[in-house]
Amino acid sequence: MAASPAKENPTNPVTGVVRPLATAAKQFTKSLFRPSTIVYPYERLEDPTFRGKVAVAAGRPIGVGDVWDNYRGVHALNIATCISCNLCAFSCPDICIEMVTVAGGDPKHPKKCPQIDYGKCSYCGFCSDACPEGCLTMTTRYELSVTKRAEMVYPPERLHEVFQRKLPMNPIRLERPANEDNILLDAPLCIGCNACARDCPTKCITMLDVAKPTPKPGEKLPRRIWKEPVVNDSDCVRCGTCISVCPKECLFWGTHK
Amino acid sequence: MSGATLYSVSAALSALLLGAVASILPAPVNAWLTSPDVVTGLAVLIFSAILLAASMINTIMLIWFERKMLGRFMDRRGAMHVGYAGLLQNFADGLKLFRKNTFRPREADSLGFYAGPTAYMVTSMILFGVLPISTGWSSGALPLSLLLALAIFSFAPLFIFVSAWSSNNKYSLIGGMRSAAQMIAYEVPILLAVVAVVIVAGSFDLNVIVNEQQNYWFWAPLIVALIVFVAGMLAEMERIPFDLPEAEAELVEGWNTEYGGMLFAFFMLADYVRALIGSILVVLLFLGGWTMPSWVPSVATSFPLAGIFWFMIKTYLVFGLFIWIRASLPRVRTDQLLRVGWNRMIPLALLSIVLAAVVVTVRCLPLVGCVPPLGG
Repeated sequence: MAASPAKENPTNPVTGVVRPLATAAKQFTKSLFRPSTIVYPYERLEDPTFRGKVAVAAGRPIGVGDVWDNYRGVHALNIATCISCNLCAFSCPDICIEMVTVAGGDPKHPKKCPQIDYGKCSYCGFCSDACPEGCLTMTTRYELSVTKRAEMVYPPERLHEVFQRKLPMNPIRLERPANEDNILLDAPLCIGCNACARDCPTKCITMLDVAKPTPKPGEKLPRRIWKEPVVNDSDCVRCGTCISVCPKECLFWGTHK
Repeated sequence: MSGATLYSVSAALSALLLGAVASILPAPVNAWLTSPDVVTGLAVLIFSAILLAASMINTIMLIWFERKMLGRFMDRRGAMHVGYAGLLQNFADGLKLFRKNTFRPREADSLGFYAGPTAYMVTSMILFGVLPISTGWSSGALPLSLLLALAIFSFAPLFIFVSAWSSNNKYSLIGGMRSAAQMIAYEVPILLAVVAVVIVAGSFDLNVIVNEQQNYWFWAPLIVALIVFVAGMLAEMERIPFDLPEAEAELVEGWNTEYGGMLFAFFMLADYVRALIGSILVVLLFLGGWTMPSWVPSVATSFPLAGIFWFMIKTYLVFGLFIWIRASLPRVRTDQLLRVGWNRMIPLALLSIVLAAVVVTVRCLPLVGCVPPLGG
């Protein structure tokens, strides 16, 4: 029903003045006793008192933890199970993860755990997908307001506190991007230096003796330790640490023939 | 309460202060300090300081009241965080404006640019010295205080126009012209509506007008005059729906487009001072001022400062009506505004004068009952 121009005339005493006043009064009374908004930092939709009042379109009440189960919020880090494999930092597209030293490692090879800069983080969840041990997960906590920019950087200890609070975790961990490759050895280049086995976070590399060949006359044997790394593929998390620490670049990704 | 007036209190305070200071000073100075002229001078200063503080605090509370109430009309909550329920938010805003830099357009006229807002503010504040808030508020009887108040009230278009013209900005100029046209158009019905009140009360003295309402308030017999007066006050205060001079959608900020910092705060504050004065005038002329009907138990009207208390309650209710209107009605066009002003408000105001004459003659109205004769 189209209203005639005369009905919209704001100088008409009834339709232009009395009726709008009545409408506004009705709205005012409703809002005075049952406001549509809550005073957010002090009241929350998570409060049980508000559960029954606010309902989503499906009729399901909004309540505690009623962000979606796979909501990607602040990370939780279990320092105890972290193996310092660096995969989280490696997978991070925003380069917001830095591996920093935490207490409790051996002094020569300190234990390193991820420190996350939430000023840069885009909450993509790749790090928790990449984590081979499931020690870096994402919780449903979404409040990150801080007053100083430096507070946006969460050191591992703080992420561990989030873990200890046992917040609802994001249970969905996608399949890791398939890396079916294995660590292969280019045996003639290896010098048996043990760097790969030393730095392997899962200790799946063992150095096995190899037979020292008998030199032919006039041939000079290379100066090396007569050991070679053997990778236990079922334990390997494909972090690539061994490849990056190898001084001779004799380890590489490949498939077994 | 009955004997002491605000002026007598400040005079006593002044004498006390000067006596204390004089007692520790050498002979020629303390004699001068305690002389009647000096005591009176300081008393006037204290009197004005009290008035200034009271009116400023009330004005700022009025802004808070508007923000909260308008918020509810829009299903919001208004200011919430600074102070309890946002009570101190406006002080924070004022502090912010106070700290801001004020600059003037290069081509603007310096004298008018700075004098305009100052004069607008000052003339608005002067009105508090004229209007009685309660018995014993004003120092002496001004026989023509209503005329004086309305005369000072109508200074505003001049200063708005001066500052708009000095800004050298097209939006300011259009806003200033609209403001002048609107205020002049609505002065006439306001004065005619006031004439109706004056006819019934028989005096231009606001104290007398209020005392006449001791037994019956004027709003019921003079309902037409009340409607005209409220509509005219809305236009005078430049509030929605008559806020054409600062129509944000068309004119940026109207006649105060070029103003920032404390000069803008002057305009803003003076606008609310005028809104407060408009509400006070409605209460004084139509709602019985500080008097209460006889059916109200005497407990509620006899405690100290009861007059001021009830007066402020009424004032804020009237201002709540203005907020209600602001939240409900859209802005009218210029032609509609002027048509309402000249074509409808003036005949209504004339009608209200006739009604006032009838009231004075008959002294009895249906639903209102009979009122005592003049002076009784």
